[in-house]
Amino acid sequence: MSDAIQQGAGVSGATTGFLKRIGARLGSMGQLSMGTFVPVLLALVAIWVYFGVTEPAFFSPRNFYFLFMQSAVVGTLAVGITVVLLIGDIDLSAAAVAGVCASLLAVMSTNMGVPAPIACLIALAGGLFLGAIQGALTAYVGIPSFVVTLAGLLGFQGLMLKILGIHGAINVRDPFIRGITTISLPPMVGWGVALACITLFAWLVYRGHQKRVQMGLELDPTMASISKVVLFALIAAGTVATLNAYRGVPLIVILLLIVTTILAWLTTSTPFGRALFAVGGNQESARRVGISVTNIRIAAFSIVGLIAAVGGIVGASRYASVSFNAFAGGPLLLEAIGAAVIGGTSLFGGRGSVWNAILGALVIGSLGNGLDLSGASAADKLMFSGAILLLAVAIDALSRNARDRK
Amino acid sequence: MQALKMKKQNTESVSAVPHLRVTGINKSFGGVEALRGVDIEVRRGEVMALVGDNGAGKSTLMKILAGAQECDEGVFLLDGQVVSIDSPQDATDLGIQIVYQDLALCENLSVSDNLFLGNEPVLGGLASILPRCIRPLDKLLMEQRAQQAIDKMKIKTLKSVRSTVGVLSGGQRQAIAIARAVGANSSVVLLDEPTAALGVVQTRQVLEVVKQLRATNHAVIYISHNLRDIFEICDRITVIRHGMNEATFVTAATNPDEIVVAMTRGIDKRSDEDV
Repeated sequence: MSDAIQQGAGVSGATTGFLKRIGARLGSMGQLSMGTFVPVLLALVAIWVYFGVTEPAFFSPRNFYFLFMQSAVVGTLAVGITVVLLIGDIDLSAAAVAGVCASLLAVMSTNMGVPAPIACLIALAGGLFLGAIQGALTAYVGIPSFVVTLAGLLGFQGLMLKILGIHGAINVRDPFIRGITTISLPPMVGWGVALACITLFAWLVYRGHQKRVQMGLELDPTMASISKVVLFALIAAGTVATLNAYRGVPLIVILLLIVTTILAWLTTSTPFGRALFAVGGNQESARRVGISVTNIRIAAFSIVGLIAAVGGIVGASRYASVSFNAFAGGPLLLEAIGAAVIGGTSLFGGRGSVWNAILGALVIGSLGNGLDLSGASAADKLMFSGAILLLAVAIDALSRNARDRK
Repeated sequence: MQALKMKKQNTESVSAVPHLRVTGINKSFGGVEALRGVDIEVRRGEVMALVGDNGAGKSTLMKILAGAQECDEGVFLLDGQVVSIDSPQDATDLGIQIVYQDLALCENLSVSDNLFLGNEPVLGGLASILPRCIRPLDKLLMEQRAQQAIDKMKIKTLKSVRSTVGVLSGGQRQAIAIARAVGANSSVVLLDEPTAALGVVQTRQVLEVVKQLRATNHAVIYISHNLRDIFEICDRITVIRHGMNEATFVTAATNPDEIVVAMTRGIDKRSDEDV
């Protein structure tokens, strides 16, 4: 094992230098939308290559299928948490909110016989409500979000125990809820979706280019645009090919991509998204241009609550039960925040991306998965996860320094 | 004699009715009276300097005009009509724009994002059913208009409107802050010490921009400690002392010494009558 760790250190050492150069390159390229995307992608590839070499089973389609499944809940929460991180706040209660919503869902569906779709909607509304309350406490009363959501973390864990009752766990057998994570798309449908996404992406890039030419704006380097499309196509095709070799593309992957796409659009392409970044970058400035910081904050926390509820539903579906230990206690929350930060989202606000949170979740998931395969102990896993988190933040800091020196 | 002639020229070049006039502005912070019955007015095509020692209340007055702070008492008149300014949005709607001393730009956003922050152009069409804050941004139009605004300001050193403000120099940031104020269909532009942190060349650039604002018939209120800049570009000078109007001078009929005396010691009744 110590050999493996040393090897790991060697690999990551080389990666740091490499990523630092890449970061510097990206800094000089201004702010292409793909700019922040690359470091975490490279980290992910490095981890995959390492485990691919040391653990032959790692690269099997079956393993990737379960890797995506394992990362689904963490990824969902990380995407939501990214939204509050953008405004410079933090949400420590996301996992507990997910737990409360999952418990609600389980009680309604299993014990009370509420139809599953309605139970899901109520769970989503519950998450939205809990998020909005915490946002309002932060925005109106002025309590730091760290404290509000820490109180939420404790309180909601208690609430979850209350809802679950004395057994502390409720099984979920409803086919609708289970279907969210058990259904996979037929291979041809998977390919169809991938093809549609690639075509749409290429068309968007092409149309953007055409419009830029028309309006006489500065153009992205053609090579950058082409490689962007090619990279996207490779990732999409590779993912579908791998997953099809086992059971097909899981429905949950598609659902998460849809949720993430909506949030990505909301945070980067709407006045609301600009306001999020502005509040995170310079709150006073945002206030002066007439942005309601209060409303933005409440909206951001409501979104996290809603997404946490989605995470709760996904979790209930995946584990086929809702138990206190699956959501409470910390690992889920910390992995979700870690995923967002590994994805390059700043804890100080104003910088980050929801797509990167998905990649960050995959980094954490791959690490856990690979270490499991290599038979590492829980102690090794924890220490490795800590090291990767530090490494990710270090790379981020280095590349940011490189940018700022320009 | 020459001074009188210049004064006449000045009155000819600006319209007679003040574009923005505020009277009786009072503002207290707890027990501290920051402003006590301040009156100021500015015409279109005029650059009016607002001077006063540190703590005289200039910045507070600016914030009130920009809607960033509410005054306790006071009347706002725009072209003779009573208006109220309770929020930054009110000020923006009335065409009043402020360029703050600390610029108030978001360093994590690009130049074009900053220029349109809080007032972004959005796409219409199908998206019109959505609330305005979640309609898709017209990013390309933003860029195009940002580029036009930057060209008008003659900021030649700026490479791309897509670069983040964090990487720009102080002069570039100031110019972008002014461009933002001018870009928003404003008729009144408030400048709070725009040249305080700038080098010689960049100061010149900003002064040229201010002259251009006057040429385009904006009403400009210019706060500065730099009397040389003020005497170069301003038409009138209003002196504020201890939160009250001390005096108003026509630039051509006064001299820096007189202004300094008014700012620091105040002027007694006799010299007030001379003015």
